[in-house]
Amino acid sequence: MYTRINQRHLTSTQRARFVEAVLELKRMGSYDQYVVTHAKYFAADGESGLRVAHMAPTFFPWHRRFLLQFESDLRMLDPGVSLPYWDWTVDNSKDSPLWGPDFMGGDGRDSDGQVMTGPFAYQTGDWPIRYGVTDEKFLTRNLGRPYHPIKLPTRTELSNALGNPVYDVAPWNSAPTTKGFRNTIEGWTVSDTKGGYLHNRVHQWVGGHMVGGTSPNDPVFWLHHAFLDLVWDRWQRKHPRSSYLPAKPLSAKVPEHGRVISADEPMPPWNEKPSQWFDHRRYYRYEES
Amino acid sequence: MSDALRNENDKPSRPRGSTRRRVIRRGLGTVAAVSGTAAALRPMLTARAGGDATALAEPPAAVEAAPVPGAGAALFDEVYRGRRIQGFSSAGDAGVDIRIDGRALGVMRRVDGSFISMANHYQPFPTALGTARAAVDQIGRAQLSANAEHHH
Repeated sequence: MYTRINQRHLTSTQRARFVEAVLELKRMGSYDQYVVTHAKYFAADGESGLRVAHMAPTFFPWHRRFLLQFESDLRMLDPGVSLPYWDWTVDNSKDSPLWGPDFMGGDGRDSDGQVMTGPFAYQTGDWPIRYGVTDEKFLTRNLGRPYHPIKLPTRTELSNALGNPVYDVAPWNSAPTTKGFRNTIEGWTVSDTKGGYLHNRVHQWVGGHMVGGTSPNDPVFWLHHAFLDLVWDRWQRKHPRSSYLPAKPLSAKVPEHGRVISADEPMPPWNEKPSQWFDHRRYYRYEES
Repeated sequence: MSDALRNENDKPSRPRGSTRRRVIRRGLGTVAAVSGTAAALRPMLTARAGGDATALAEPPAAVEAAPVPGAGAALFDEVYRGRRIQGFSSAGDAGVDIRIDGRALGVMRRVDGSFISMANHYQPFPTALGTARAAVDQIGRAQLSANAEHHH
């Protein structure tokens, strides 16, 4: 059992050790497999087939399991490392130490979005992009989306979403009328002025690789999703009588049959039940602050 | 990766939808749209009213010969910010095949009829044309990677 803490409370040594473990995983080639896996399990709900990572109830357990596997890899390299989380309702500026040259590095430059500072800048030689949307080999960002500015989600927006006692509702997809906690957090609703909601808007705010189909290329992906994992915890504590839905496999008569996974059906690629991941405390806990 | 390719100035008063990465003169290409493509769109989708109006509005004057072997009817073909963007109806799940300078852009369809692309994976657009333009806004001068298509 270990703890995950808010990235703003990491010591400089902890920051350095986390970065070093991530870089080592990249050198070994394992890191890029996470980029590929995430893209592979990203299916959309206007098409056919099973959805697990996005636009589906398994959004939370799938990412929990995905993060834990990544974190286990890091801890093989350095048992003192765990995933920090980024509370974007607090550290909501591009001037946050999150983007410091000893941690995530800074914004992309104007001309081509290339990140020029920090350990993940291309010129360090440590962070070539191997599976990208384009042929560019460098990490890109566009913090705040200056050409069409958006703000990171606020504490109020998050707490409004947390107030919803229903985990998810039929038809378990990304439609704006699917008004459960899970879909609100995922944030597919489009607004020209605000962007998407919580999870999606953070991807949009970081920009560059984070808004594309190979988003784990940006290591801030893990800090963002660690916070969402904690958000799921908070929701469970706030609504102790609520639980994951759908609880039972869907009837063969409904159109979503075979397209989403209920609590005790196997979830690929691990073929583990979502219900195995409702509680993570045998592995890690969050130290909230 | 020559910076000379990227360092032209992107000055203020950028049109909406441009990005700071945009360094390219604005393309003034013509939309070549084809009627009859609505049938190619997936009927199961409860597409919002007028959802694809941009791409489907005008009957074609002349559609350039499709350079994509096996592609369906052309939905649009224009130069946008110096990039040639094309859309073809497709029998695939997304119902459309989008190309940027001939390279395939991975596209998926949402249940409300909107699209997400590999370039804008967390931001849907209501039309195929809007999706293609937004992808150019996002990638700038970069070429789509050969593995930018989705693999399921």
